[in-house]
Amino acid sequence: MGNSTSPPTPKQIFTDLSVELTGFDRAELAGTGMIDTYYDTLLRMIGEREAGQLLRYASDALTADQQTKNGAALKRDVIDSPRFGPVVVSLIKLWYLGHWYPLSGAYRDLHGATADDVEHVISSQGYREGLVWVAAGAHPMGGKPPGHGSWAEPPSLLTP
Amino acid sequence: MSNPASPDYDLVIVGGGISGAVVAKTVIEQAARKKKFPRILILEAGRATALSADKYDTYVEAYHEALAKVPNSPYHASSSAPQPDVLDIRKLKDTEGKPKISDQGYFVQKGPMPFGSDYARSLGGTTLHWLGTTLRMLPNDFRMSSNYGRGVDWPIDYDTLKPYYERAEWDIIGVAGDVEHQYYPIDGLDQYFRSSDPKKTRDGKYIFPMEEIPSSYLDQYMAKYADDMTITLPCMDPGEPDHEFAIRISNTPVARNSTPTTTDYRIVGAAGNADRGQRCEGNSSCIPICPVQAKYNALKTLYELIVKYPYELKENEKPGTRARVAVQSQSVAMEVMHAKGAETERAKVTGLRYKRYYDDGTGPTEHTVTARTYVLAANAIENATLLLASGNAANSSDQVGRNLMDHPLLLTWGLLPENVGAFRGPGSTSGIPTFRDGTFRDQHTAFRVEIGNWGWNFPENAPYVTVLDLVGGGNDGKAQLYGKALRKRLGEILPRQFRIAWELEQDPEARNRVTVDDHYKDALGKHRPVIEYDLSDYVKASLPWAAEASRQLFARLGMTEKRRRPHYETGDYTYYTPDDAAAVTYQGTTYWVRGAGHVVGTHRMGDDPKTSVVDSHQRSHDLPNLFIAGCGSMPTLGTSNPTLTMTALALRTGDEIAEELSK
Repeated sequence: MGNSTSPPTPKQIFTDLSVELTGFDRAELAGTGMIDTYYDTLLRMIGEREAGQLLRYASDALTADQQTKNGAALKRDVIDSPRFGPVVVSLIKLWYLGHWYPLSGAYRDLHGATADDVEHVISSQGYREGLVWVAAGAHPMGGKPPGHGSWAEPPSLLTP
Repeated sequence: MSNPASPDYDLVIVGGGISGAVVAKTVIEQAARKKKFPRILILEAGRATALSADKYDTYVEAYHEALAKVPNSPYHASSSAPQPDVLDIRKLKDTEGKPKISDQGYFVQKGPMPFGSDYARSLGGTTLHWLGTTLRMLPNDFRMSSNYGRGVDWPIDYDTLKPYYERAEWDIIGVAGDVEHQYYPIDGLDQYFRSSDPKKTRDGKYIFPMEEIPSSYLDQYMAKYADDMTITLPCMDPGEPDHEFAIRISNTPVARNSTPTTTDYRIVGAAGNADRGQRCEGNSSCIPICPVQAKYNALKTLYELIVKYPYELKENEKPGTRARVAVQSQSVAMEVMHAKGAETERAKVTGLRYKRYYDDGTGPTEHTVTARTYVLAANAIENATLLLASGNAANSSDQVGRNLMDHPLLLTWGLLPENVGAFRGPGSTSGIPTFRDGTFRDQHTAFRVEIGNWGWNFPENAPYVTVLDLVGGGNDGKAQLYGKALRKRLGEILPRQFRIAWELEQDPEARNRVTVDDHYKDALGKHRPVIEYDLSDYVKASLPWAAEASRQLFARLGMTEKRRRPHYETGDYTYYTPDDAAAVTYQGTTYWVRGAGHVVGTHRMGDDPKTSVVDSHQRSHDLPNLFIAGCGSMPTLGTSNPTLTMTALALRTGDEIAEELSK
């Protein structure tokens, strides 16, 4: 959550929110090289004003949850929020798959939609850095090959 | 190589895939022994983008960025040379259940069921996206009519083809495998693989040029639990005893580079960058693209040809002192021109008309090329379409376009009780060969069992669908699972996903056919393939068999309970609903039957010109200076993936053409 002397920037809040949404820590997310891209994607998909609102609510919730350590505020104010819930669903999928899934029709009816909100793969890098492959103890199909014969070895999974 | 008519080339080949490349290479090498140096033109309908290693990388990127990662997703087609795509497969019934034609995409599908496979129209052909399985056919596969009263016999037998299989494995494709780990249901397995070449023999046993690709952890797990179990399937005749099948997990010979088994075998790396692709490194994307070309593709052979035998002569080089090969892409064959012979002469091909298209806005141009000998080496469906569109060329038998076959795939899938490390390694490293042959073949088709290493990627589009299931966000828009709980749950589910492909042998039927229709042409004015396709009762009778074999195998692996997504617990997740384009109903039960990408038949070989299109050398019965090469020549299909057999046939054809051109 930023440092103690200055308030966190929106991108820092975005990163902290992403940590909570994905279950991957800041270093792991930074290691994908996708934080800037996905932050920009969020702004493009729902507009800067709405993204600002999401990050403000998220920041408050994350601060509150620092005390309780149970994530209740984030769940109540962001995950379960009719306004922000559908957005974070798309954000989770984005991080895991490198693939933008459009917001639901119900969300669009209430909050409108941008022209960019269509299904697409963000980039070749976004595909390769999809968190799902790490979660599966594997590697992206067609990328980051583990080496000859590695598939004969017993699988290993890092405990999250 | 003089010829009074002075044709433009000695040999013109239509299609820059594996058959064309192998014929060209073989002709050059065999003719050189007699100091003859042919001039060869290879016409390729698609683009030649991938002949340099860096441009090949753009294919990899296209795959990464593709929304739907299907076999052709890295290889974008042009409207001038469109290609079939599995995403274009539609149900061939309207909402009232009445038959309907689908002309979505390149194929025109008349049904009753859609033909479920595609192919690539790019230089390199479908080897760009094949899995790389290189199983030989079994001896009985060549004698289906004599042995089982089904299909037809081949004009050649296994022993005739065996030396060509060896050459295909050693000299062209480069096969990794170990005969010690092949468990086929035939007598004399030792003899089946025995080679007369001492260089290919160790301790009296045949060796492949490269060591086997290691079996996946999943294969080892399967062997631990299922090896030596017996699967019992009922006989169709009441009162007759059941058929019993001993299960043995068998490592599959494949076209993937590994470690040479002999010191003088040279591994062939990527076209344009030999340092790449020296060994399979586990990219887990053999289909649709091997990023390093550790898997064989025809670009490797074509690249070798244009480097060793460039068409352009260097300064001081004289014509007729070495072979010369021109590969010309974006050139679509439109017509095989042919003339009736005089009374003492037979009819022959007189030229080939093709259209060349460009990417700079220039309109297509039309050309005619002549040669001493012509080879059609496009995909089986393309070969047939071209002949039919050429005034029914080479078709006195009325068999051109007929007997279209594929390996209809029945997929079954489940969630294993343990982590087996799915989504790692090549698409498949092992299979279960026991159902490939047996007395049952008079009533049921044989089938091969391919064990998949990529979880539910094929049947369910995992891991995408798994993430979507777990994250949810459906009606209420709320995430069901997120954060560490999501990460953990995915780790519990994805590595346990398991699937089998039951690959049925399809029998040749005259009604399964490709035709042309002037109403259906592409942007260049070339006829699109019009396809009629169905499964015989002989094939369908194997569906309940394969399903029952799957049930018994799954039970042995602890997957007895029938389950359905989006909930994930150990069990059998196989399900088939009638609304799918691949649905087939047999005896009241619905199955989904996918295509295997094995496009076979359409110009079958045989000794009798009345019932076959080409002879055993793939030479047209009607037009002796025309060879029609490829999977289309196969009279029956067996249970092995056809590329290795096609390569063996191409070698034999190359020898024949070289002999003729050397005269």
